Amino acid sequence: MAAIQASPRLRQRKASLKMRLVPYLFLLPNMAIFGLFTVWPAINGFNISMYSSSNGRTFRWEGAGNYQRILTDEDFWGIVRNTVVYALSFVVLSVVLGVMLAVLVDQQRRGRTFFRSVFFVPVLISPVVAGLVWNWMLERQNGLINTFLRSFGIPEVPWLVDNNLAMVVVIGVGTWMQVGFYMLILLAGLQSIDPSVYEAAKIDGASRWRQFISLTFPLLQPSILVVVVLATIHGFQAFDFIYTLTGGGPVGATTLIVQYIYENGFVSPIRYGVASAGSVLLFCAIFALTIVNWMIGRKREAA
Amino acid sequence: MVKKMRTTARLLAGLAAVGMLAACAPGQVEGQGAAAGPSAVQSVDPAQFAGKTLNYVYFTDGPDAEATAQLISKFEEKYKVKVNLETLPYKDLVTSVQARLSGGNAPDVVRLTGLTDFRDDLLDLRSYLGQDYAKEFLPGPAVGATGQDGKMLAVPSDLTLNGPFVNVDMFKKAGVSLPDPEKPWTWKEMIDAATKVQKATGSQYAFAMDKSGHRLSTILNEYGTALVANGKSALDTEKAKQALTPLIDMMRDNRMPRDFWLGSGSRYSGANEIFLAQDAPVYLSGNWQVGQFAKNAKFEWAAAPNPCADKCGGFPGGKYMAALQKSKNPALAAEFIRFMNTTENQATFIKAGGFLPTRKDLSEKGVAYPARQADMDVFLKDLARTPELGYAANSDPAFTGSATELVNAVSDVVGGKKDLSTAVSDLQKKTQSLVQELH
Repeated sequence: MAAIQASPRLRQRKASLKMRLVPYLFLLPNMAIFGLFTVWPAINGFNISMYSSSNGRTFRWEGAGNYQRILTDEDFWGIVRNTVVYALSFVVLSVVLGVMLAVLVDQQRRGRTFFRSVFFVPVLISPVVAGLVWNWMLERQNGLINTFLRSFGIPEVPWLVDNNLAMVVVIGVGTWMQVGFYMLILLAGLQSIDPSVYEAAKIDGASRWRQFISLTFPLLQPSILVVVVLATIHGFQAFDFIYTLTGGGPVGATTLIVQYIYENGFVSPIRYGVASAGSVLLFCAIFALTIVNWMIGRKREAA
Repeated sequence: MVKKMRTTARLLAGLAAVGMLAACAPGQVEGQGAAAGPSAVQSVDPAQFAGKTLNYVYFTDGPDAEATAQLISKFEEKYKVKVNLETLPYKDLVTSVQARLSGGNAPDVVRLTGLTDFRDDLLDLRSYLGQDYAKEFLPGPAVGATGQDGKMLAVPSDLTLNGPFVNVDMFKKAGVSLPDPEKPWTWKEMIDAATKVQKATGSQYAFAMDKSGHRLSTILNEYGTALVANGKSALDTEKAKQALTPLIDMMRDNRMPRDFWLGSGSRYSGANEIFLAQDAPVYLSGNWQVGQFAKNAKFEWAAAPNPCADKCGGFPGGKYMAALQKSKNPALAAEFIRFMNTTENQATFIKAGGFLPTRKDLSEKGVAYPARQADMDVFLKDLARTPELGYAANSDPAFTGSATELVNAVSDVVGGKKDLSTAVSDLQKKTQSLVQELH
């Protein structure tokens, strides 16, 4: 009797299990690819960071030796400083310019698609090519920009050979390459704001600036948070265009952490362990910053 | 509270899983499973290779590619085998061969510029080519192909030598006499001549050189020191300061292109375009430029002897042919290396590529190049003057890393980050640390 009574419950449980499993099955292909090509290499990278190897086949146990080596390396701290300066400037410029461009494009009655495309085009250019092209344009003697400046009697500017200017150039080119992407995210955020709130503000006599400060900016905050998180990740991962633009020079003034990892991993003498340890440290930094950004965002949303 | 505990438990479980994974070595632990080569010399019968396939991973300097293809055809015909020639871009060579070794798909033979990255993977060729085979090669280049316990890990297949070129048209226009290859000029004479030509012709610079630690080592060698040699840091800081001072002075007053040096960061950069554009009358590079200049220079130029300081002569480089322990056909690989480096075949190869010989017989007999014989003779004469220290330095496992640090040291001084004494002293510490790490 008990067995007969349990049967519908069992069926119910089975059905419920199936229902719970279905979404995971839909996610499975994507998660399998993500696990195989992202999670597994990341775990393996952490593992390799505990060893030293120059060929990727034979390994010697180092424990925390690679981390100790990196953290006691004077050059590394210079690179960390460069990376922080670049990432911070990149995030601030990306958000400010992204918001400005999004608002300007949103206000266009005609040609909105055209302007959106114009600002987005640099995102589509290969970073390596972008670095090379800007390198040619910014060369001191024969570069396009200095040639143009010379025609107005302005002396040559050492764009790529002055430490501070080179960092300014790298930040500028990095922002130019990505700002179109962030503009699109912010533009989508702007377009999702209910127009009736602006109508109400107009009726109340709010100026355009007041509308921007009191309505647009607060309502755009979820999109801004996304941009801040993405720009932080992009900022800390910047490498390819810098390598072809300045090579990390002059005198290491634009060498960022990914170049440090690349040079340990792929330039003789190869040190896979040190490169992996650098990657783990970079992951920890980006992860921590993303969590902080996310928590700040949640607090604001709750408020 | 329960939620928090669950999250903490999950986090700890995750960390434990990662920790357990970390406890497993990602590959073979050092000292385990080293492959042993055959102990006795094996006799070779060409018929034994018939029908086999050999994979040769190669990079080209340009003109040598055709000669290599011709020699491979001859080998295939003689031994009735198939050679797969895989030409890779030079910058991908090491990582690509490393990846193939990791993936169990090792090539049989590989052309290399140095053995550092593969020393533990290379076949000891003595077992196939005989104990005395190394004696067929010049002692300097042979040093670079020798491993621990006298193992012959490769065959030096061609030799290069760093050295300067002069723009003859500019020298003539300035009324400055050209250097005599028989009586090399000094560093001071070379810089004075270059500066005079610059002033007389209005060229942008007096002197240009590739941004390379290998090229900078030429100057160290001429001043009687080296970065590393024979497993030790060999840098004499006083001599290094003397050697680098003229270059730094020239970059400070822009007689040498400062922007060129600083603007490429940590990347290698060749100054050949500066010389070809006639922006500098003297250019320090090496004999591999002869073919390129013969083709592209729109002016009269010549190879000049290396300037002397304490010593004369240049700094050697070159390439090696090596077989891998994981080769499926080690005997065929060794035989292919022997074939490509017979007197006749090496002559064909170096004539086409504009290289210098590594074989003693070719070096003694001399090589008749198809063009620019006088320029190649300048390098051959300098080869005889080149100090042994250069070969010992270039073949040291710590050389490549130290050469990078040498470029960084010069950049630090030129960029105003350090004074020369501090930069050289730091360089010495870094070379010592590299020697410790790589030996």
